[in-house]
Amino acid sequence: MTTAGDRAPAGRPWVRPWLLGLAGSLGAILFWTAMAFWLKGGGGVISRLPTPLAVGVELATYARGPLWPDLAASLEVFLAGWLIGCTGAAVIGIAMGQSPLIGAIFGPVVEALRPVSSIVWVPLAVVWFGFGFTSKIFLVGLAVFLVVIVYAIDGARRIAPDLHRTASMLGMTPLQRFRALVLPGALTEVLVGARVALMSGWGTVIVAELVAADFGLGAHLIAVQQSYDVAAVMAAMACFGLAGFIMNAMFSLLERRLLPWRSGGATR
Amino acid sequence: MTGRLGLSRIALGLLGVAIVVALWQGTIAYYGLASIVLPTPLSVAATLLKLFGSAAFWRDVAVSLKEFVLGYVIGGVLGILVGVLVGERPAVRMTIGPVIEALRFIVPFAWIPLTVLWFGTSLTGKIVLVAYAVFFVMVVTTHRAMTTVDPVLTRVAIMLGMRESEIALKVHLRAAAPGIASGAKAAAAIGWIAVVAAEYIGASAGLGVMITNASMSLATATVIGGMIVIGIIGGMVSWLVGLAAAAWLNH
Repeated sequence: MTTAGDRAPAGRPWVRPWLLGLAGSLGAILFWTAMAFWLKGGGGVISRLPTPLAVGVELATYARGPLWPDLAASLEVFLAGWLIGCTGAAVIGIAMGQSPLIGAIFGPVVEALRPVSSIVWVPLAVVWFGFGFTSKIFLVGLAVFLVVIVYAIDGARRIAPDLHRTASMLGMTPLQRFRALVLPGALTEVLVGARVALMSGWGTVIVAELVAADFGLGAHLIAVQQSYDVAAVMAAMACFGLAGFIMNAMFSLLERRLLPWRSGGATR
Repeated sequence: MTGRLGLSRIALGLLGVAIVVALWQGTIAYYGLASIVLPTPLSVAATLLKLFGSAAFWRDVAVSLKEFVLGYVIGGVLGILVGVLVGERPAVRMTIGPVIEALRFIVPFAWIPLTVLWFGTSLTGKIVLVAYAVFFVMVVTTHRAMTTVDPVLTRVAIMLGMRESEIALKVHLRAAAPGIASGAKAAAAIGWIAVVAAEYIGASAGLGVMITNASMSLATATVIGGMIVIGIIGGMVSWLVGLAAAAWLNH
Protein backbone atom coordinates (compact mmCIF):
# COMPACT_ATOMS: atom_id res chain seq x y z
CA MET A 1 0.00 0.00 0.00
CA THR A 2 2.67 2.44 1.07
CA THR A 3 5.10 1.52 -1.70
CA ALA A 4 2.36 1.93 -4.31
CA GLY A 5 1.78 5.43 -2.98
CA ASP A 6 5.49 6.19 -3.13
CA ARG A 7 5.57 5.51 -6.83
CA ALA A 8 2.58 7.70 -7.65
CA PRO A 9 3.19 9.60 -10.88
CA ALA A 10 4.83 12.95 -10.36
CA GLY A 11 2.74 14.53 -13.10
CA ARG A 12 -0.34 14.87 -10.86
CA PRO A 13 0.89 16.91 -7.94
CA TRP A 14 -2.61 17.84 -6.74
CA VAL A 15 -3.51 14.20 -6.20
CA ARG A 16 -0.28 12.97 -4.63
CA PRO A 17 -0.46 14.38 -1.11
CA TRP A 18 -3.97 13.01 -0.67
CA LEU A 19 -3.06 9.62 -2.11
CA LEU A 20 0.08 9.32 -0.01
CA GLY A 21 -1.63 10.45 3.15
CA LEU A 22 -4.44 7.99 2.54
CA ALA A 23 -1.93 5.23 1.85
CA GLY A 24 -0.03 6.02 5.04
CA SER A 25 -3.18 6.10 7.13
CA LEU A 26 -4.50 2.88 5.62
CA GLY A 27 -1.10 1.26 6.18
CA ALA A 28 -1.16 2.26 9.84
CA ILE A 29 -4.71 0.93 10.29
CA LEU A 30 -3.78 -2.34 8.55
CA PHE A 31 -0.72 -2.68 10.82
CA TRP A 32 -2.90 -2.03 13.87
CA THR A 33 -5.48 -4.63 12.75
CA ALA A 34 -2.74 -7.17 12.09
CA MET A 35 -1.26 -6.52 15.53
CA ALA A 36 -4.68 -6.86 17.14
CA PHE A 37 -5.19 -10.28 15.55
CA TRP A 38 -1.62 -11.34 16.24
CA LEU A 39 -1.87 -10.40 19.91
CA LYS A 40 -5.34 -11.92 20.29
CA GLY A 41 -3.96 -15.19 21.61
CA GLY A 42 -2.08 -13.38 24.35
CA GLY A 43 1.67 -13.90 24.34
CA GLY A 44 2.84 -10.35 23.81
CA VAL A 45 3.30 -7.71 26.51
CA ILE A 46 0.26 -5.91 25.16
CA SER A 47 -2.39 -8.56 25.54
CA ARG A 48 -5.39 -6.32 25.25
CA LEU A 49 -5.34 -4.61 21.86
CA PRO A 50 -8.80 -4.17 20.31
CA THR A 51 -9.19 -3.91 16.54
CA PRO A 52 -9.75 -0.50 14.94
CA LEU A 53 -13.31 -1.64 14.21
CA ALA A 54 -14.04 -2.30 17.88
CA VAL A 55 -12.68 1.13 18.76
CA GLY A 56 -14.75 2.67 15.95
CA VAL A 57 -17.92 1.02 17.27
CA GLU A 58 -17.10 2.26 20.75
CA LEU A 59 -16.50 5.74 19.36
CA ALA A 60 -19.87 5.72 17.57
CA THR A 61 -21.60 4.65 20.78
CA TYR A 62 -19.87 7.42 22.68
CA ALA A 63 -20.74 9.97 19.98
CA ARG A 64 -24.44 9.10 20.30
CA GLY A 65 -24.25 9.52 24.05
CA PRO A 66 -22.36 11.85 26.36
CA LEU A 67 -19.47 12.79 24.04
CA TRP A 68 -20.74 16.27 23.17
CA PRO A 69 -21.35 17.62 26.66
CA ASP A 70 -18.04 16.03 27.73
CA LEU A 71 -16.23 17.68 24.82
CA ALA A 72 -17.85 21.06 25.46
CA ALA A 73 -16.84 20.94 29.12
CA SER A 74 -13.24 20.04 28.23
CA LEU A 75 -13.01 22.71 25.52
CA GLU A 76 -14.30 25.40 27.85
CA VAL A 77 -11.62 24.63 30.44
CA PHE A 78 -8.97 24.39 27.75
CA LEU A 79 -9.74 27.65 25.98
CA ALA A 80 -9.96 29.72 29.16
CA GLY A 81 -6.71 28.29 30.55
CA TRP A 82 -4.90 28.55 27.23
CA LEU A 83 -5.81 32.20 26.66
CA ILE A 84 -4.85 33.18 30.21
CA GLY A 85 -1.58 31.23 30.01
CA CYS A 86 -0.57 32.67 26.61
CA THR A 87 -1.34 36.26 27.56
CA GLY A 88 0.51 36.03 30.84
CA ALA A 89 3.50 34.36 29.24
CA ALA A 90 3.69 36.94 26.45
CA VAL A 91 3.67 39.89 28.85
CA ILE A 92 6.09 38.43 31.39
CA GLY A 93 8.29 36.78 28.75
CA ILE A 94 8.78 39.99 26.76
CA ALA A 95 9.59 41.87 29.99
CA MET A 96 12.12 39.19 30.95
CA GLY A 97 13.63 38.98 27.48
CA GLN A 98 13.91 42.72 27.02
CA SER A 99 15.20 43.73 30.44
CA PRO A 100 18.34 41.82 31.40
CA LEU A 101 17.67 42.86 35.01
CA ILE A 102 14.14 41.36 35.17
CA GLY A 103 15.39 38.36 33.22
CA ALA A 104 18.22 37.77 35.69
CA ILE A 105 15.95 38.16 38.72
CA PHE A 106 13.08 35.94 37.63
CA GLY A 107 14.86 33.67 35.14
CA PRO A 108 15.92 31.14 37.79
CA VAL A 109 12.43 31.18 39.36
CA VAL A 110 10.78 30.44 36.01
CA GLU A 111 13.42 27.83 35.18
CA ALA A 112 12.76 26.14 38.51
CA LEU A 113 8.98 26.22 38.02
CA ARG A 114 9.03 25.06 34.42
CA PRO A 115 9.88 21.37 34.76
CA VAL A 116 7.35 20.93 37.58
CA SER A 117 4.46 19.24 35.85
CA SER A 118 1.01 20.71 36.26
CA ILE A 119 0.08 17.20 37.41
CA VAL A 120 2.33 17.72 40.39
CA TRP A 121 0.34 20.85 41.19
CA VAL A 122 -2.89 18.84 41.38
CA PRO A 123 -2.87 18.26 45.16
CA LEU A 124 -2.00 21.91 45.77
CA ALA A 125 -4.59 23.16 43.28
CA VAL A 126 -7.26 21.13 45.07
CA VAL A 127 -6.26 22.50 48.47
CA TRP A 128 -6.14 26.04 47.14
CA PHE A 129 -9.11 26.19 44.76
CA GLY A 130 -11.22 23.15 45.58
CA PHE A 131 -12.75 20.86 42.96
CA GLY A 132 -14.27 23.54 40.77
CA PHE A 133 -13.67 25.35 37.51
CA THR A 134 -10.93 27.55 39.05
CA SER A 135 -8.76 24.57 39.86
CA LYS A 136 -8.89 23.30 36.28
CA ILE A 137 -8.23 26.72 34.76
CA PHE A 138 -5.28 27.18 37.11
CA LEU A 139 -3.69 23.89 36.08
CA VAL A 140 -4.24 24.39 32.33
CA GLY A 141 -3.18 28.04 32.46
CA LEU A 142 -0.03 27.12 34.36
CA ALA A 143 0.88 24.37 31.89
CA VAL A 144 0.42 26.71 28.90
CA PHE A 145 2.24 29.57 30.61
CA LEU A 146 5.30 27.45 31.37
CA VAL A 147 5.57 26.37 27.73
CA VAL A 148 4.95 29.74 26.08
CA ILE A 149 7.19 31.76 28.43
CA VAL A 150 10.30 30.08 26.99
CA TYR A 151 9.33 31.08 23.47
CA ALA A 152 8.41 34.62 24.56
CA ILE A 153 11.76 35.16 26.32
CA ASP A 154 13.67 33.69 23.40
CA GLY A 155 11.74 35.80 20.91
CA ALA A 156 12.27 39.02 22.81
CA ARG A 157 15.96 38.26 23.32
CA ARG A 158 16.90 36.92 19.92
CA ILE A 159 16.56 40.13 17.96
CA ALA A 160 19.62 40.41 15.72
CA PRO A 161 22.05 43.05 17.12
CA ASP A 162 22.41 44.39 13.57
CA LEU A 163 18.75 45.29 13.55
CA HIS A 164 19.09 47.09 16.84
CA ARG A 165 22.13 49.02 15.62
CA THR A 166 20.41 49.87 12.36
CA ALA A 167 17.33 51.02 14.21
CA SER A 168 19.27 53.29 16.52
CA MET A 169 21.27 54.56 13.55
CA LEU A 170 17.99 55.45 11.86
CA GLY A 171 17.12 57.43 14.97
CA MET A 172 14.25 55.23 16.16
CA THR A 173 13.11 55.90 19.69
CA PRO A 174 13.12 52.99 22.16
CA LEU A 175 9.31 52.81 21.87
CA GLN A 176 9.49 52.68 18.07
CA ARG A 177 12.17 50.03 18.29
CA PHE A 178 10.00 48.03 20.68
CA ARG A 179 7.00 48.20 18.37
CA ALA A 180 8.87 47.61 15.12
CA LEU A 181 11.53 45.11 16.22
CA VAL A 182 10.87 43.51 19.56
CA LEU A 183 7.13 43.03 19.48
CA PRO A 184 6.87 41.35 16.06
CA GLY A 185 9.87 39.13 16.82
CA ALA A 186 8.62 38.16 20.25
CA LEU A 187 4.99 37.67 19.23
CA THR A 188 6.07 35.44 16.36
CA GLU A 189 7.77 33.17 18.86
CA VAL A 190 4.79 33.45 21.23
CA LEU A 191 2.51 32.20 18.46
CA VAL A 192 4.85 29.28 17.78
CA GLY A 193 4.89 28.57 21.50
CA ALA A 194 1.12 28.91 21.69
CA ARG A 195 0.82 26.21 19.08
CA VAL A 196 3.23 23.92 20.96
CA ALA A 197 1.27 24.70 24.12
CA LEU A 198 -1.93 23.51 22.43
CA MET A 199 -0.60 20.03 23.03
CA SER A 200 0.51 20.43 26.61
CA GLY A 201 -2.51 22.54 27.52
CA TRP A 202 -4.86 20.01 25.99
CA GLY A 203 -3.07 17.22 27.84
CA THR A 204 -3.41 19.09 31.11
CA VAL A 205 -7.16 19.19 30.55
CA ILE A 206 -7.14 15.44 31.24
CA VAL A 207 -5.17 16.06 34.41
CA ALA A 208 -7.48 18.88 35.45
CA GLU A 209 -10.52 16.71 34.84
CA LEU A 210 -8.91 13.97 36.86
CA VAL A 211 -8.98 16.36 39.80
CA ALA A 212 -12.67 17.12 39.50
CA ALA A 213 -13.84 13.89 37.90
CA ASP A 214 -17.42 15.02 37.35
CA PHE A 215 -17.61 15.34 33.58
CA GLY A 216 -15.38 16.06 30.60
CA LEU A 217 -13.37 13.79 28.29
CA GLY A 218 -10.73 13.14 30.97
CA ALA A 219 -13.29 12.02 33.53
CA HIS A 220 -14.82 9.66 30.95
CA LEU A 221 -11.35 8.30 30.12
CA ILE A 222 -10.65 7.48 33.75
CA ALA A 223 -14.08 5.90 34.19
CA VAL A 224 -13.67 3.48 31.27
CA GLN A 225 -10.08 2.72 32.27
CA GLN A 226 -11.23 1.65 35.68
CA SER A 227 -13.65 -0.81 34.05
CA TYR A 228 -10.75 -2.26 31.96
CA ASP A 229 -12.54 -1.39 28.71
CA VAL A 230 -9.54 -0.95 26.39
CA ALA A 231 -11.68 -0.21 23.30
CA ALA A 232 -13.51 2.57 25.15
CA VAL A 233 -10.20 3.92 26.49
CA MET A 234 -8.84 4.11 22.95
CA ALA A 235 -12.07 5.70 21.70
CA ALA A 236 -11.73 8.42 24.35
CA MET A 237 -8.08 8.88 23.36
CA ALA A 238 -9.16 9.24 19.74
CA CYS A 239 -11.58 11.98 20.79
CA PHE A 240 -8.72 13.82 22.46
CA GLY A 241 -6.60 13.34 19.36
CA LEU A 242 -9.30 14.47 16.94
CA ALA A 243 -10.16 17.55 18.96
CA GLY A 244 -6.47 18.44 19.25
CA PHE A 245 -5.95 17.87 15.54
CA ILE A 246 -8.85 20.14 14.60
CA MET A 247 -7.64 22.86 16.96
CA ASN A 248 -4.15 22.63 15.49
CA ALA A 249 -5.50 22.90 11.95
CA MET A 250 -7.46 25.99 12.92
CA PHE A 251 -4.42 27.48 14.60
CA SER A 252 -2.22 26.80 11.56
CA LEU A 253 -4.69 28.72 9.45
CA LEU A 254 -4.57 31.59 11.92
CA GLU A 255 -0.78 31.50 12.01
CA ARG A 256 -0.60 31.68 8.23
CA ARG A 257 -2.96 34.63 8.23
CA LEU A 258 -1.08 36.47 10.99
CA LEU A 259 2.49 35.54 10.08
CA PRO A 260 2.55 35.15 6.30
CA TRP A 261 6.34 35.58 6.17
CA ARG A 262 6.86 32.40 8.18
CA SER A 263 5.03 30.10 5.81
CA GLY A 264 6.13 31.90 2.64
CA GLY A 265 9.61 31.83 1.16
CA ALA A 266 12.43 33.31 3.26
CA THR A 267 13.01 36.11 0.80
CA ARG A 268 12.20 39.02 3.05
CA MET B 1 27.14 47.23 32.05
CA THR B 2 26.60 43.76 30.65
CA GLY B 3 29.78 42.50 32.31
CA ARG B 4 28.70 43.72 35.71
CA LEU B 5 25.28 42.23 35.13
CA GLY B 6 26.88 38.91 34.28
CA LEU B 7 28.85 38.94 37.55
CA SER B 8 25.83 39.73 39.67
CA ARG B 9 23.58 37.28 37.81
CA ILE B 10 23.66 34.83 40.70
CA ALA B 11 22.87 37.59 43.20
CA LEU B 12 19.91 38.73 41.08
CA GLY B 13 18.68 35.16 40.78
CA LEU B 14 18.83 34.87 44.54
CA LEU B 15 16.91 38.14 44.78
CA GLY B 16 14.16 36.62 42.62
CA VAL B 17 13.99 33.59 44.90
CA ALA B 18 13.93 35.90 47.94
CA ILE B 19 11.01 37.86 46.48
CA VAL B 20 9.05 34.61 45.96
CA VAL B 21 9.83 33.37 49.48
CA ALA B 22 8.84 36.76 50.97
CA LEU B 23 5.53 36.69 49.07
CA TRP B 24 4.97 33.10 50.24
CA GLN B 25 5.66 33.90 53.91
CA GLY B 26 3.68 37.12 53.63
CA THR B 27 0.62 35.32 52.23
CA ILE B 28 0.61 32.88 55.16
CA ALA B 29 0.95 35.71 57.67
CA TYR B 30 -1.65 37.91 55.98
CA TYR B 31 -4.36 35.28 55.55
CA GLY B 32 -3.39 33.20 58.59
CA LEU B 33 -3.24 29.98 56.52
CA ALA B 34 -3.02 26.54 58.11
CA SER B 35 0.05 24.44 57.32
CA ILE B 36 -2.14 21.91 55.48
CA VAL B 37 -3.03 24.67 53.01
CA LEU B 38 0.38 26.28 52.77
CA PRO B 39 3.28 25.38 55.05
CA THR B 40 5.95 28.00 55.72
CA PRO B 41 9.11 28.04 53.59
CA LEU B 42 11.06 27.06 56.69
CA SER B 43 9.01 23.92 57.35
CA VAL B 44 9.31 22.95 53.67
CA ALA B 45 13.09 23.40 53.95
CA ALA B 46 13.15 21.22 57.08
CA THR B 47 11.09 18.56 55.26
CA LEU B 48 13.50 18.70 52.34
CA LEU B 49 16.50 18.17 54.65
CA LYS B 50 14.72 15.18 56.20
CA LEU B 51 14.05 13.78 52.69
CA PHE B 52 17.70 14.16 51.67
CA GLY B 53 18.68 12.02 54.62
CA SER B 54 16.38 9.11 53.75
CA ALA B 55 17.40 6.22 51.53
CA ALA B 56 13.83 5.69 50.27
CA PHE B 57 13.85 9.20 48.78
CA TRP B 58 17.03 8.57 46.80
CA ARG B 59 15.64 5.27 45.58
CA ASP B 60 12.57 7.13 44.27
CA VAL B 61 14.82 9.68 42.54
CA ALA B 62 16.87 6.89 40.93
CA VAL B 63 13.74 5.14 39.63
CA SER B 64 12.35 8.34 38.10
CA LEU B 65 15.70 9.28 36.53
CA LYS B 66 16.17 5.82 35.05
CA GLU B 67 12.73 5.92 33.44
CA PHE B 68 13.41 9.38 32.09
CA VAL B 69 16.88 8.74 30.65
CA LEU B 70 15.92 5.51 28.88
CA GLY B 71 12.75 7.01 27.43
CA TYR B 72 14.48 10.23 26.43
CA VAL B 73 17.30 8.52 24.55
CA ILE B 74 14.99 6.13 22.72
CA GLY B 75 12.42 8.81 21.85
CA GLY B 76 15.04 11.44 20.99
CA VAL B 77 17.06 9.31 18.59
CA LEU B 78 13.97 7.95 16.83
CA GLY B 79 12.40 11.42 16.73
CA ILE B 80 15.40 13.11 15.10
CA LEU B 81 15.73 10.26 12.58
CA VAL B 82 12.07 10.46 11.56
CA GLY B 83 12.20 14.27 11.60
CA VAL B 84 15.14 14.30 9.16
CA LEU B 85 13.45 11.72 6.95
CA VAL B 86 10.21 13.68 6.92
CA GLY B 87 12.09 16.92 6.22
CA GLU B 88 14.17 15.47 3.40
CA ARG B 89 11.60 13.36 1.59
CA PRO B 90 8.31 15.03 0.68
CA ALA B 91 6.87 11.61 -0.20
CA VAL B 92 7.60 10.32 3.32
CA ARG B 93 6.15 13.48 4.83
CA MET B 94 2.94 13.12 2.86
CA THR B 95 2.65 9.43 3.68
CA ILE B 96 3.27 9.38 7.41
CA GLY B 97 2.41 13.03 8.05
CA PRO B 98 -1.31 12.48 8.74
CA VAL B 99 -0.58 9.51 11.03
CA ILE B 100 2.06 11.43 13.00
CA GLU B 101 -0.11 14.52 13.16
CA ALA B 102 -3.08 12.50 14.44
CA LEU B 103 -1.01 10.58 17.01
CA ARG B 104 0.82 13.73 18.10
CA PHE B 105 -2.42 15.13 19.39
CA ILE B 106 -3.15 12.14 21.51
CA VAL B 107 -0.94 13.73 24.12
CA PRO B 108 1.16 11.60 26.49
CA PHE B 109 -1.21 12.21 29.41
CA ALA B 110 -4.03 10.59 27.44
CA TRP B 111 -1.89 7.46 27.08
CA ILE B 112 -1.35 7.03 30.81
CA PRO B 113 -4.55 5.04 31.50
CA LEU B 114 -3.76 2.77 28.55
CA THR B 115 -0.12 2.20 29.52
CA VAL B 116 -1.33 1.25 33.00
CA LEU B 117 -3.73 -1.29 31.44
CA TRP B 118 -1.03 -2.62 29.12
CA PHE B 119 2.14 -2.55 31.20
CA GLY B 120 0.81 -2.33 34.74
CA THR B 121 2.87 -0.22 37.11
CA SER B 122 6.16 -1.44 35.65
CA LEU B 123 9.15 0.55 34.41
CA THR B 124 8.33 -0.34 30.77
CA GLY B 125 5.12 1.67 30.76
CA LYS B 126 6.91 4.84 31.86
CA ILE B 127 9.76 4.38 29.39
CA VAL B 128 7.26 3.92 26.54
CA LEU B 129 5.39 7.00 27.68
CA VAL B 130 8.50 9.20 27.90
CA ALA B 131 9.80 7.93 24.56
CA TYR B 132 6.39 8.69 23.03
CA ALA B 133 6.36 12.21 24.47
CA VAL B 134 9.95 12.98 23.40
CA PHE B 135 9.57 11.37 19.97
CA PHE B 136 6.83 13.69 18.78
CA VAL B 137 8.52 16.82 20.10
CA MET B 138 11.71 15.86 18.26
CA VAL B 139 9.94 14.94 15.01
CA VAL B 140 8.08 18.25 14.93
CA THR B 141 11.02 20.47 15.95
CA THR B 142 13.48 18.68 13.66
CA HIS B 143 11.10 18.91 10.72
CA ARG B 144 10.32 22.55 11.49
CA ALA B 145 14.01 23.42 11.79
CA MET B 146 14.78 21.68 8.51
CA THR B 147 12.05 23.47 6.59
CA THR B 148 13.35 26.86 7.75
CA VAL B 149 16.83 26.16 6.36
CA ASP B 150 17.71 28.82 3.81
CA PRO B 151 16.98 27.34 0.35
CA VAL B 152 20.08 29.14 -0.97
CA LEU B 153 22.19 26.67 1.06
CA THR B 154 20.50 23.76 -0.71
CA ARG B 155 21.05 25.33 -4.12
CA VAL B 156 24.72 25.99 -3.32
CA ALA B 157 25.15 22.41 -2.13
CA ILE B 158 23.55 21.06 -5.30
CA MET B 159 25.74 23.35 -7.37
CA LEU B 160 28.81 22.05 -5.53
CA GLY B 161 27.77 18.57 -6.60
CA MET B 162 26.98 17.16 -3.15
CA ARG B 163 24.99 13.97 -2.99
CA GLU B 164 21.50 14.03 -1.47
CA SER B 165 22.56 12.18 1.67
CA GLU B 166 25.49 14.58 2.05
CA ILE B 167 23.17 17.58 1.72
CA ALA B 168 20.84 16.08 4.31
CA LEU B 169 23.55 15.38 6.87
CA LYS B 170 26.16 18.07 6.24
CA VAL B 171 24.02 21.00 5.14
CA HIS B 172 20.44 20.62 6.32
CA LEU B 173 21.06 18.88 9.64
CA ARG B 174 23.84 21.33 10.52
CA ALA B 175 21.82 24.38 9.53
CA ALA B 176 18.87 23.03 11.48
CA ALA B 177 21.01 22.21 14.52
CA PRO B 178 20.04 25.26 16.64
CA GLY B 179 16.37 24.45 16.17
CA ILE B 180 16.93 20.77 16.96
CA ALA B 181 18.95 21.74 20.05
CA SER B 182 16.19 23.91 21.44
CA GLY B 183 13.77 21.11 20.62
CA ALA B 184 15.93 18.67 22.58
CA LYS B 185 15.82 21.03 25.54
CA ALA B 186 12.03 21.35 25.35
CA ALA B 187 11.74 17.59 24.95
CA ALA B 188 13.74 17.06 28.14
CA ALA B 189 11.26 19.16 30.10
CA ILE B 190 8.26 17.43 28.53
CA GLY B 191 9.79 13.98 29.03
CA TRP B 192 10.44 14.70 32.68
CA ILE B 193 6.84 15.90 33.07
CA ALA B 194 5.64 12.65 31.48
CA VAL B 195 7.63 10.61 34.02
CA VAL B 196 6.09 12.40 36.98
CA ALA B 197 2.61 12.28 35.44
CA ALA B 198 2.84 8.55 34.79
CA GLU B 199 4.06 7.91 38.31
CA TYR B 200 1.20 9.95 39.68
CA ILE B 201 -1.46 7.79 38.02
CA GLY B 202 0.01 4.31 38.29
CA ALA B 203 3.40 3.32 39.64
CA SER B 204 4.98 1.51 42.54
CA ALA B 205 8.04 3.73 43.01
CA GLY B 206 9.36 7.15 41.99
CA LEU B 207 9.00 10.80 42.91
CA GLY B 208 5.43 10.98 41.60
CA VAL B 209 4.41 8.16 43.93
CA MET B 210 6.10 9.90 46.83
CA ILE B 211 4.07 13.07 46.21
CA THR B 212 0.80 11.19 45.73
CA ASN B 213 1.26 9.40 49.03
CA ALA B 214 2.18 12.66 50.75
CA SER B 215 -0.88 14.46 49.36
CA MET B 216 -3.17 11.64 50.49
CA SER B 217 -1.90 12.02 54.05
CA LEU B 218 -2.19 15.83 53.73
CA ALA B 219 1.58 16.26 54.24
CA THR B 220 1.59 19.45 52.18
CA ALA B 221 5.17 20.28 53.18
CA THR B 222 6.37 17.00 51.65
CA VAL B 223 4.26 17.68 48.53
CA ILE B 224 5.89 21.08 48.03
CA GLY B 225 9.30 19.63 48.92
CA GLY B 226 8.83 16.94 46.28
CA MET B 227 7.75 19.56 43.74
CA ILE B 228 10.94 21.51 44.46
CA VAL B 229 13.06 18.39 43.97
CA ILE B 230 11.27 17.70 40.67
CA GLY B 231 11.94 21.29 39.64
CA ILE B 232 15.63 21.04 40.52
CA ILE B 233 16.07 17.77 38.64
CA GLY B 234 14.11 19.08 35.67
CA GLY B 235 16.21 22.24 35.58
CA MET B 236 19.41 20.23 35.81
CA VAL B 237 18.32 17.88 33.03
CA SER B 238 17.41 20.83 30.82
CA TRP B 239 20.73 22.52 31.65
CA LEU B 240 22.73 19.39 30.84
CA VAL B 241 20.93 18.97 27.50
CA GLY B 242 21.63 22.65 26.79
CA LEU B 243 25.33 22.16 27.59
CA ALA B 244 25.55 19.10 25.36
CA ALA B 245 23.73 20.96 22.58
CA ALA B 246 26.05 23.98 22.89
CA ALA B 247 29.11 21.72 22.72
CA TRP B 248 27.65 20.03 19.65
CA LEU B 249 26.81 23.36 17.98
CA ASN B 250 30.32 24.75 18.57
CA HIS B 251 31.78 21.59 17.13
